[in-house]
Amino acid sequence: MSDKNISKKIKIEDVTSLPLELESQQKASKEKIGSVTEGKLTLYDRQKRNVERFHELLRKKMTRQLASSMVACVHCGMCAESCHYCLSRPDDPQMTPVYKADQIRRIFKKHIDWTGRVFPKWVKAGSPVTDEDLNHLKNIVFGTCSACRRCTFNCPMGVDTALLIRFARGILTDLGIVPEGVFNVSRDQWETGNQMAVTEEDYLETLDWMKEELQEELDNPDIDIPIDTEDCDFMYTINPREIKFDPRSISHAAKIFHFADEKWTMPKWGWDQTNFGLFSGDDKLGAYVAKNVYEAAERLRAKRIVISECGHGYRSTRWEGYNWAEYDQNIPAESVILTLMRYIQNGRIKVNPAKNSEPVTFHDSCNIARSGGLLEEPRWVLNKVCSDYREMSPNRRENFCCAGGGGLLSMAEYKPLRMEVAKIKADQLKATGAKLVCTICHNCVDGLTDLIKHYDLDMKVVQVLELVSHALVV
Amino acid sequence: MSDILYFLENKVQIVALSFLLFVYILRIFWLFRFKSRKEQSYSEGNATACIAHSMLNVAMPWAMESIRKKPFFYIQFILFHMGVIFAIAATFIIPYGPQLFNIQAVVWIFQFIVGMAFIVGMFRLYRRFANPSIRLISSRDDYFSLILMIFYFGVAFLAIPNNYHRSEWPLILFFALTAFFLIYVPFSKIGHYLYYPFTRFFLGRTMGHRGVYAKRKKCRYPEGL
Repeated sequence: MSDKNISKKIKIEDVTSLPLELESQQKASKEKIGSVTEGKLTLYDRQKRNVERFHELLRKKMTRQLASSMVACVHCGMCAESCHYCLSRPDDPQMTPVYKADQIRRIFKKHIDWTGRVFPKWVKAGSPVTDEDLNHLKNIVFGTCSACRRCTFNCPMGVDTALLIRFARGILTDLGIVPEGVFNVSRDQWETGNQMAVTEEDYLETLDWMKEELQEELDNPDIDIPIDTEDCDFMYTINPREIKFDPRSISHAAKIFHFADEKWTMPKWGWDQTNFGLFSGDDKLGAYVAKNVYEAAERLRAKRIVISECGHGYRSTRWEGYNWAEYDQNIPAESVILTLMRYIQNGRIKVNPAKNSEPVTFHDSCNIARSGGLLEEPRWVLNKVCSDYREMSPNRRENFCCAGGGGLLSMAEYKPLRMEVAKIKADQLKATGAKLVCTICHNCVDGLTDLIKHYDLDMKVVQVLELVSHALVV
Repeated sequence: MSDILYFLENKVQIVALSFLLFVYILRIFWLFRFKSRKEQSYSEGNATACIAHSMLNVAMPWAMESIRKKPFFYIQFILFHMGVIFAIAATFIIPYGPQLFNIQAVVWIFQFIVGMAFIVGMFRLYRRFANPSIRLISSRDDYFSLILMIFYFGVAFLAIPNNYHRSEWPLILFFALTAFFLIYVPFSKIGHYLYYPFTRFFLGRTMGHRGVYAKRKKCRYPEGL
């Protein structure tokens, strides 16, 4: 591996002491945007007693699941064996998941648990004193963990550290103590209903453009990307990144749906299946975005919701969103990978694996594998459409994070550390000898592309829809 | 047997055990005070099977990569916790079934197990001091609990032969320590076994519901969709 682009090991203090950037918050305050005036988005206010408010929120938001993970840790340190931050920086004791979790656990012990309230020093209980301490906590929970849940699966006690990290993020979000990128994306999703502030006009124009290209490619003027059609077999939801940066993924999907003779539609509103609430820990945002999708499917009387290739979008829309929104699921929802499986199984599309002859490996998105349960399905599809599939090691539930998960792609200030700890993933990719790394997550596409560039790997990132579309026998 | 040893073996143990039970009940009520979230999405797996899988995780060293990478750690874990079980068993055998320790082989087995646990404890203490990552997260309770356990194993080793007619001191110390343990445990990390079923239940339920483990073979959606 070439070291020419690999930066020197960074000092962790440089990360944990990063200041709270407030430019975007000040701009939002001046412009009096709706999400701020309506109290959906909290701005940081140094005049408010933020530390006290933090303690109140800690008590208010505590659940049984969280409390048991707070008290069950025995400080055995086994989680260090699984974390890509630790494995890439083995000499840095602040990288262990337990250390990161302890930054919130110590506050729990001091204010909620028994022994810590009476004898705080005995159990290392403590409390933030100033807003600067909260900012320090912000840098730890947002900047030094991708909440990949690898440590959770490797904890003998079953402590869900990723859940604790998200919990701490959520409290800080309620105080406006967040990285600027988190604030910006949350604002966009509150304001426009999608993470990338795509306007309805841009959305419809891009779909129209993709439709025309597809009509031209297949020389068939009847091919359509239907919008707001009622009573379809499914409503297709996407990641706004597909509109902004990767519209081909939509045309790949549309092409496959066309050959499968599918009755499908995309909604005019409620099309964004991604959900920044998962990363910011903001359940209110999570509920709002998820509900947009569920209500769109109900409005269109769709028989199913199909979720395009997106890790956190799948986890949020398929699993977490119903809980955040307190919304009993009444319409089935599935990843597009299951839809593809069904097409191939039922002979609705024909594929030729020889059309994808380059060696390909599969990267499991954390949110889809460890937190979503899709393990064998993408492999089944890839084995049908590729002639040289190579498994990476470790894989499935044990695969490593692309290092860009947990919303880290939106937090530029943490990129140097993210790239340093991506080494473990880079080594893993290189060992496969594959030329293509396939993933079913747009977030992982960017995370993997970053590390491939950084570590100078001879590889390209692809997605399943692209490979299936390429393998189609027309 | 002196009055003090009889008192420690019987009344003190019962009072201390009752206290432990009382605090544990309070602790469980405390935990249930927090709201619990229910799953509102359709299930794609067998949550019950996954809860069982999660609970039995402790007996499946192959199930976790961290253990596969460090099998010696698992062996230590087994020996240490076997030591705890055997030492606790001794606190019941000595007052209620002392004839069992008339069998020399049983005494040797018990002594071997708690002796090994003592060695593992020493090793773990060294690791806690020597490993910077572990040192950073360790609290006074972590050190105290471990030292206490090591001491307890050592005393148990001496007490298990139950030779009170030769010397009562190992037995007095053993039962006094046991009583102290029973009172201290609910407030320290040693009480982690109380929380194990909870964390494992929640993790198993969530992951089972999603089919991360124990996935349903057939998709629950209607055919033809």
